[in-house]
Parts: sequence; structure tokens; C-alpha cells
Amino acid sequence: MTDRKIGVYICHCGGNISDYVDVKQIRDAVSRDDGVVIARTTMFACSDAAQEEMIDDIKTHQLDGLVVASCSPKLHLFTFRAVAERAGLNPYQYVQVNLREQDSWVHQHNIPEATQKGIRLVRAGLAKCVLSEPLSTMRIKTIPKVLIIGAGVAGLRAAASLADMGFAVYLIERSSKAGGMVAQWGKLFPHDRDGRALVADLHNEIKRRENITLFTSAELVEKSGSVGDFSIKIRVKEQEEISLNVGSIIVATGFDPYNPEPGEFGYGLEGVITLPQFKELLDESEGLLSYNGRRVRNITYIYCVGSRQEQTAERPNPNKYCSRYCCNAAVHSAICADALDAEVNQYHLYRDMRTYGKNELMYERAGRQGSVFVQYDESDPPLVEKTGDKLRVRVKDRLIGGEEIEIVPDLVVLVTGMVPRENQKLIDVLKLPVGRDGFFNEIHPKLRPVETVIDGVFIAGTSQGPKTLAESVASAMAAVAKSAALLMKGYVDLEPLIARVDQQRCIWCDACTDACPYGAIEKVSFEGKEIAGVIPSLCKGGGACVPVCPENALDVEGYTDKQITAMIDSMAGEVV
Amino acid sequence: MKNRVDPDLHRDFSKFGNIDVSTCMNCGNCTATCSLADETASFPRRDIHYLQVGLRDKLLQSADPWLCYYCGDCSESCPRDANPGEIMMAARRYLTSQYDWTGLAKRMYVSKAWEIGAIAFVGLIVAALFYFLHGPMVTGHVELNTFAPVEWVEFGDLIMAAILSVFLLSNAYRMLRFIMSGEQGLRLPISLYIKELPTIVTHFATQRRWRQCSADHSHWLRHFLLVSGYVTMLTLILVFLRWFQTDIVHPIWHPTRLLGYYATGVLLYATVAMMISRIKKSGEIHKFTEPSDWGFLILLFLTSLTGIAVHLFRIADWPLLTYYTYVIHLVIAVPMLIVEVPFGKWAHLLYRPLAVYLTNVKEKAKALPVKEEVKVAITA
Repeated sequence: MTDRKIGVYICHCGGNISDYVDVKQIRDAVSRDDGVVIARTTMFACSDAAQEEMIDDIKTHQLDGLVVASCSPKLHLFTFRAVAERAGLNPYQYVQVNLREQDSWVHQHNIPEATQKGIRLVRAGLAKCVLSEPLSTMRIKTIPKVLIIGAGVAGLRAAASLADMGFAVYLIERSSKAGGMVAQWGKLFPHDRDGRALVADLHNEIKRRENITLFTSAELVEKSGSVGDFSIKIRVKEQEEISLNVGSIIVATGFDPYNPEPGEFGYGLEGVITLPQFKELLDESEGLLSYNGRRVRNITYIYCVGSRQEQTAERPNPNKYCSRYCCNAAVHSAICADALDAEVNQYHLYRDMRTYGKNELMYERAGRQGSVFVQYDESDPPLVEKTGDKLRVRVKDRLIGGEEIEIVPDLVVLVTGMVPRENQKLIDVLKLPVGRDGFFNEIHPKLRPVETVIDGVFIAGTSQGPKTLAESVASAMAAVAKSAALLMKGYVDLEPLIARVDQQRCIWCDACTDACPYGAIEKVSFEGKEIAGVIPSLCKGGGACVPVCPENALDVEGYTDKQITAMIDSMAGEVV
Repeated sequence: MKNRVDPDLHRDFSKFGNIDVSTCMNCGNCTATCSLADETASFPRRDIHYLQVGLRDKLLQSADPWLCYYCGDCSESCPRDANPGEIMMAARRYLTSQYDWTGLAKRMYVSKAWEIGAIAFVGLIVAALFYFLHGPMVTGHVELNTFAPVEWVEFGDLIMAAILSVFLLSNAYRMLRFIMSGEQGLRLPISLYIKELPTIVTHFATQRRWRQCSADHSHWLRHFLLVSGYVTMLTLILVFLRWFQTDIVHPIWHPTRLLGYYATGVLLYATVAMMISRIKKSGEIHKFTEPSDWGFLILLFLTSLTGIAVHLFRIADWPLLTYYTYVIHLVIAVPMLIVEVPFGKWAHLLYRPLAVYLTNVKEKAKALPVKEEVKVAITA
């Protein structure tokens, strides 16, 4: 027998549930259950009228538990938590039962059984509610400072924006100079803006702002604390260590250009160079284009080098992705080469031309200037060889029935893509998840594109995946907005559904620290002994620690062992 | 076989017409709308791609440009206004220059000075021959055969025909070699070549492939009349000159007079109509006009006009006017034939039927049963 006073509401969902599940039968079945004070059916539980009715019931009957059997908690968990709160009931004593996605929608062929299952589901919810405890969120003050890792264009741009919003910014850069990849390049697509000039301008912007501190030759070596209040340690010039406190972290560590294997499309032969190397050649050329002192009249580009690779025995970990920027950069380079010397002949051996969006205009222009585009099939890639001092490229031309043609270029440009930076130390320090492709992972590519599973740590630019410069800056701005939204408020509320340690039982065997992917468990002392302590701001309530504990000293609030067991018992019991 | 790319081909090629092959994006609308293209001859797209990429050998092996009759559907349907029809026209000029082993065709196509110079040069030789060798100029009444004895003129005609044939046939042989070299490994029995010979005659005489162009056959008809007039006149002066160039005026019903009137009539009509079309740029086929297109028409028009004039002056019995006009007539006609037929646009009178013929031979050869030993070689 329980002394809880619980209200149960069974929703028709306008027929979505009640067409296949007899909601009245469920109500009748559970209305006599232990602890149930009120059991009602309702046409739409989420409607204003129904919410008002619930609030009224809670107040009138002094309910201390609420169960709504309706749709998925993904849709309305927060709706009904708010109902509880408005009625003066602790929102964590509300339990949602999913009668729609988990019952009516999936059992349309068998109405009696669906109703039986509905009764069991609601009873399980009741069992959980009976054992629910009032919980409260934890509020922590945020520090109005941001750490930005990587002073490329994305990092520089983010720093200036955050500084303008009044945040102090620590900008750290692993190399000795700010500017990243763009600082090495001249004309950039699509508007021929000079990369070096662009970085110089950004660098001046940074210098003008007093609340930005730039550390070069610096690395992040330690991070503790959590969202809103991180303690970090950076190492500058391999010796000096500086400790700082920040409220959020933006990771903008950029990419590495793909470095072809020796022999890959003739790489290693004289006259076979990568796109970044060609870019450098173009930037340095005054007058006619020349390579190793010889005038370049014929250029052959081979696209998709290091991108969109297939898995083979020799290449177990291929780069399956498209690097997005390379088609555009190669076509733009062809336009630049043509500007240096209109007599230059350019052959583009491509798989699919992905000069998307406005960049299509560059493709159009290059074609009209005489660039020849020949499509090749990935299963039959071009062959680069050297006979005598002549490079020879053989490729099967799809437009003439796959017949092989032979080009004798002065220069072969391998249009190389982007690969993730070697960043293992940083990954270890931040515990950031990395995708199969090696780039940092966001939570959701559409809805949460710059957030990571580590609250307060955001990703920007090409550290997340291949991007053009414009896209890099856009994602940096998104990370700025998310950082600012977090820190402007001055505090964060943390979910109370986290792990809890039974301090008497715990013997500090350390099994849980290994299991926790977020580093949320630390050693603390309690009454003279060492035990595990949960860092509330880091714990996500994932529950990985619970089953590994040999002493059963761990539980996750809201999902305690007792609650789960009770739910199983009531679900498995006889339906009366 | 190596299809070595010549990156400068499109530059060479651009001298043969007011066209830019890089405008084309290889979409293939042209080939799809073409009434003459088929699976084996997927022009113009294929040939334009040869030009873009620089596949000179593939272009030389291609008979496609001669199978194209410039209906103009391709140029009308081209989404990029690349004028594929005119590119095919330029391809015919380019191929004519490549077939020609003397190099004269190329010089004349790319340089107006060379074209005018060559015609003027031959014209001057003819004028000089008359200046030094002409017979007595009887002034009482017209005695053309005294001024220019028909046996001598006939002899000159034959020499001209021989020169012309040597160049044209040797160029045509090169064309045959180029086109058939693309078919290595294909068995081409001589019997097939012989069996298909009538193709050349029918297509030469009727240009009937052109009739597949569209429902409107007016261009074909005009051209057909022109050819009939041209062949009639050529026959009259090469074979029947003794009955054609006479000092007595035949009665009006005499075959040489009737045929002569027919020939000059259609030649004048067709050349004038074509020149008007070119000036008005009516229809895709006459939208673009190169110097080589004008030269051909103007010379033929002037030849016909002066021929008629000689005839009229003689009937009127104006001796000096007849003699001078006769010289002018030949000063125009001879270079027109010697220069334009083997080295210029006129060469198409042989290249077009030859291309249809060679394509037929190839297709028939492909349909032949494969010989046993070849089969074995393939499976081995």
C-alpha cells in the first residue's frame, strides 16, 4: 500500500490512440490501482482545457504524482512537466506513458491485445511514479570568457565577434602564426580576394580589441570543470603553463590537405603536384606560368584525389566523403591560370563536377575560357606515367564510348581534398567525439550543427568536416551565437537526472570512472574513506556507471533500480 | 590505338570559321534533334567533343561532317548558342584542308589573300595564253573558232580536267585512307567496295540524303537544280564542245542550245537565290557566311553571266565584244574549276558521296560474319 496520491490521464489523441486502444477500459482498470486518486480519459491531453483540468485536479486533490498516457515524451514531456510545475507539483514527479508510438500505432491489427498492452504500460508508469522523488535543477554561474582553439579564419572571426559582445576571449594557436591555411593562399574563390590580405585584416581586427588575448605556439593541455565554468591549462612555447577559467570553448582547429600516397596518380613524379602546391605556384607567378624554369602550356587536373574513396584491401579506411571545396578551388585555379596566360591548355579529369550554388558561374566561365572537362569513371581512374621527360595521362573518355585518350601535360595537378587534422592530444583532453571520417561530430547535423555532446564545447569550421571558407565562417558565427546564448544569461540550470552515489556502500573500486565517457566521476572523501563523487555539471545521466558497480552503490535519479524493477514487475503482472 | 590529344587543335580549327567550340557543354541536344544522325554517326556532339578535347586523329577518321547537310535543327535547339551546324560546316572546311596534301586548301581557307591570289594567278595564266596564242580577230562578223579554235580550247579543257582530277582524286584517296584507318581489325573485302560503288553515283547525282533533313525540301531542290545545270554545262564543254562552240548559230530547238539555256538558267537562278539568302541570312544554313562561301557563288554566277553574254553577243554578231567576253568568261571559269574543285568548297561534290559510300562499306563490313580464325584469335 502506498500513501501517494496520483492522477492518471489517458489521452484519445483525437482517435490516434482511441481508435485502436480502448482508453475507457484502461481507465477502468487502473482507477482501482494502489495510489490512484483520479483516473480520467481526455480527448487531447495537451489542449489548454485539459491542462487546466489537470492543474485543477492536482490542486483540489493535493496530488503528489502525475501520469499522462499519451504520445512520445519527445513531443510533450516538457509540456506536462510545466503543467505539474504550474500546479505546484515537482515536475520530476510527472511520468509520461507512450500509448501512441509504442501501442496504438504499432498494433492497429489487434485492438483487444493493444488495450491489454496499454493497461500494462500505464501500470508501469504508475509504478515508476509511486517511487518518484522530488528533484530540483542545479544552477551554476557562468564565466563570461571563451576559449577559442585555432586561430585560422574561423577562430579569428569568432574571436572578434565574441569580443564585440563583451566577452573576454583567449585565442590559442598551435603554430607560431595566426591565420591558418588561408594565410598561405593568394586569390580565393569566388571573388579573387587575397587570402593573405584577408588574414592580415582579421589580425588587425583582433589587435584592435583589448579583450582578446592571442597565444601562439600554444596548446590546450588540461580541461576540468563543466559548462559555464571550465578550468583550463594551456602550454605556451613548450614550457610556460597558464591556467584560465572560461565559460565555453570553441574548437576551430581546421583541416589538413590530403597528402597523396607515393605513386597515387603519379605523385612523386616531377611535374605532378597537389592543388595547394599549384595554388602556391599560381600565387608566386608573375607573367607566364612556369614550373621548374619551364613554361607551362598544358595542365591536366585530376579531381577527387583523396576524396570519395572506395574501400579496398589496400585502403581499409577510405575517405568516403566529398571535400566540397576542391572542385571550386580547381576551377578557380584554372581561371587564374588563364588570366596569367590565355594560351595555356587545361584538361579537367573529373568524376562529378560539384561547383554548387553560385560557384557554378566559375565552372561556366572556365569552360568558356577553353578548359576541357572530361569525365572519368571511378572504377577506371586516369593513369599518370612518365616516359622520357614527358608526363603522360591516359583516361577513358565517356563521351566517346569510353575510348582511351592520351594527354601529354607539362603539369599534372592532383585536386586533393581535406582530411582531419592530427589532433589526438586535444581529443583526449576535451573528450570530444570524432566521427568515422576523423572529423569532430556535432549533435545533430541540421538542428544542432555546432554543439557537441560536451555541454559548453562547440565546433566550428573545417574541424567538423570539409567546408568552403564562407561555410567555415558561417559555422564559426553559429558557434559564437551558441556561446553567447549560453553565457549572456549568466547561469545554467543542470538537469537533476544524474547519477547518485550511495556513500555508505561505495568502496572506491574505480570501475565507474572507466565506464563514464564524460569524466563525470571523481574521487572524494567521505567520513574518512575514499568514495566516488559525481560531478553534477559533467554527468549526463547516461547510466554507464550503474551496471559496472559491484556494490550496487550507483543509481540514476529518475531511473533508479527500484523504479525499473517495479515497472517490470507491474508490467509482467496479471492484467485484471 | 593511341588517341593522342592535341591541345592546340581548337586554335587551329577556329581559323576555319567564326565559331568557338568551347561554348559547347556536350549536352547532346543537337544530336538528339538531328534527323540525319544515328547510332553509328552521332554527330554533331561527338565531333564537337573531338574538337574540344583535341582528338585530331579521331576527327580525320570521322566521315560525320560529310554526312551532315546543315539542316540547322541542331543550331536552333542548342541551349548555348554554340551553332553546332556551323561547327560542322567549319569541320568540312578543316577536313578539306587536311585531305589536301598540297597545303593549298588550308592556305586558301585561312587567308583571303591566298584565295584571291590563287584565282587571280590561274586567271592571269589563262589571259596570258589568250594574249599570246589567240588566232586572228575577224572583225567583219563573229568567227570565234578563228579567234579561239575549238580543237585548242578542247585540248585546254582536257588539260584542265586532268589537273583538276589528279588533285581531287589524290585528295579523295587520302580521305578514304583517313576514314578507313579508324577501323583497324575490321575485315574489308574488295568485293564490298565494288558492290557499294553505285552509292557514289546516286548520292552524287541526287544528294538524296539531304531530303531527310526536314519536310521543307526547297534548299535541296535549289541545290539539285544547281548541280543539274553544272553537270550539264560541264558535259557540254568537256564532251560536246565541238557542237557547242560553233560559228553557225544553231536553230533554237538544237539540243546544245536547249541544254545550254537550261543549264545557265538554273545556274543563274540558283546562285542569285543563294546569294540573296546569304545576304538576308535566311535560315540557319545561311546565317554564317565565310569568304570561301562567297567566292564559290560569285565565280559561278559570273561564269554563267559571261557565258550567256558571249552567246548573246554572237547572235547579235558583235565580234570584238564576243571575243573579249569569251576571254573574260574563261578567265573566270578556269580558275573557278581548278582552284575551287580540288582545293575549295566545291570538293564536297566528291567528298559527300564518298563519305556516304565509305560509311556504307564500313557498316556492311561490320555486319559480315566473323571468320573462324578471327573468332579463335578473339577467344584466345
